[in-house]
Amino acid sequence: MTTLPRRPLRVLLAKLGMDTHTVGVTIIGHALREAGMEVIFTGLKQTPEMVCAAAIQEDVDVVGISTLSAGHTRSLPKLARLLREAGAEDKLLVAGGVIPQEDKPLLEQAGVHRIFTMGSDTRDIVAYLNDWWAQRQAEAAA
Amino acid sequence: MSAALGQSAEEIAQRLLAGEIAAGARAIRWLDDRDPRGSALLSAIFAHTGRAQIVGVTGPPGAGKSTLTDMLVTQWRARAKRVAVVAVDPSSPFTGGAILGDRVRMARHATDPGVFIRSLGTRGQAGGLSRSTHDAALVFDAMGYDIVLIETVGVGQDEIDVVNLAHTTVIVAVPGLGDEIQAVKAGIMEAGDIFVVNKADREGYEATRRQMELMLHLRANALPDRPPVPLLRAAAARGEGGAEIVDAIEAHRVMLVESGDFTHRAGLRLRDQVMGLVRDALAQRALEVAGAALLADVDARRIDPHSAAARIVERLMQQGSVAA
Repeated sequence: MTTLPRRPLRVLLAKLGMDTHTVGVTIIGHALREAGMEVIFTGLKQTPEMVCAAAIQEDVDVVGISTLSAGHTRSLPKLARLLREAGAEDKLLVAGGVIPQEDKPLLEQAGVHRIFTMGSDTRDIVAYLNDWWAQRQAEAAA
Repeated sequence: MSAALGQSAEEIAQRLLAGEIAAGARAIRWLDDRDPRGSALLSAIFAHTGRAQIVGVTGPPGAGKSTLTDMLVTQWRARAKRVAVVAVDPSSPFTGGAILGDRVRMARHATDPGVFIRSLGTRGQAGGLSRSTHDAALVFDAMGYDIVLIETVGVGQDEIDVVNLAHTTVIVAVPGLGDEIQAVKAGIMEAGDIFVVNKADREGYEATRRQMELMLHLRANALPDRPPVPLLRAAAARGEGGAEIVDAIEAHRVMLVESGDFTHRAGLRLRDQVMGLVRDALAQRALEVAGAALLADVDARRIDPHSAAARIVERLMQQGSVAA
């Protein structure tokens, strides 16, 4: 048995709107768990308000949104705004799924830190989150 | 608009005592992560604890604990009670990672300001709870929640640590787990204050209920001083049985308060937590004083486990008397 890390990264995974495609988000969840992270699932058909409340109650480090049925140009900026208004802008907001290239600038400007489009390798996602977490912890220690 | 959280234990303590959810959530994070600020925070809020009724919900995997919890929360909200839920799921002993999925069944309470749901991984703790469950319950108690419900991981036959933590323990059984005896082994049957057969719409309900009745009858004979325990029926996925269970939990609270056991059980719980913290600290210290040479002797089978343990304890005691 390995020594457990003192502070596992906590990640909320959610799906916004009427999207019911769960294969992608389930695979991501298991990949993050295998990488030693605590993954909190909220279930389907979430509103931005529900995701924001869950992110705060769970005090996660990362909020990951899976979207495969459009609507993301409205719901993601709204979620980013709700998190800011709740004083939770320190949480990393990332999104993945079917997101057209042309939507990226709008989402990034609205506060989505990183967008993983179709075909992203789970290892790249794990590496991105681990790098961000290492940097965050180094800043906190400094 | 809420202000972002600061870094001091004092600020977090003040804000959570004022009921701010983000501050309570941060406090639990510190305690779960064993951040040193957690201990300072706990001593700042401890005087405000001791009021909430702590309710444990436990049972085998697949018994419907999360769905039942969701139904109980709905009942309490209808009675104007504020409810906090600690939902525990297992952490991987290999990677430390965890999938915490209990919120999925409680989504309808997500934006209710009178409900606070927190998911915790066991992080190496055996017994059906996480190592920080006691602390999380104290934080919710200090925040003024009327009920703190602890949903354990799916338990097998004697992982019933929740009994030491809760005022009232609800044991959930279901039909169809094979041999009826399996669901109700001795440790679990002796522990509960309220028994529920969930999924009562399923085949096999009558057989499971009869088996439970028999076990509870035997328990009453063996433990004549303990009050009789209710055996209730539920079909949580259909919303059936919630009012009766909440009535029984409230009746149990009244009984505990009248007998003085409400504070007595809380005292035992705190004592249990103190001894757990002492054990952790001593185990850590023991590893430090054991020394690499002794541990290498264990690996190489030059010394047996009992003798090695005795030698480490001896060294600990010597160190203790030097320090004193």
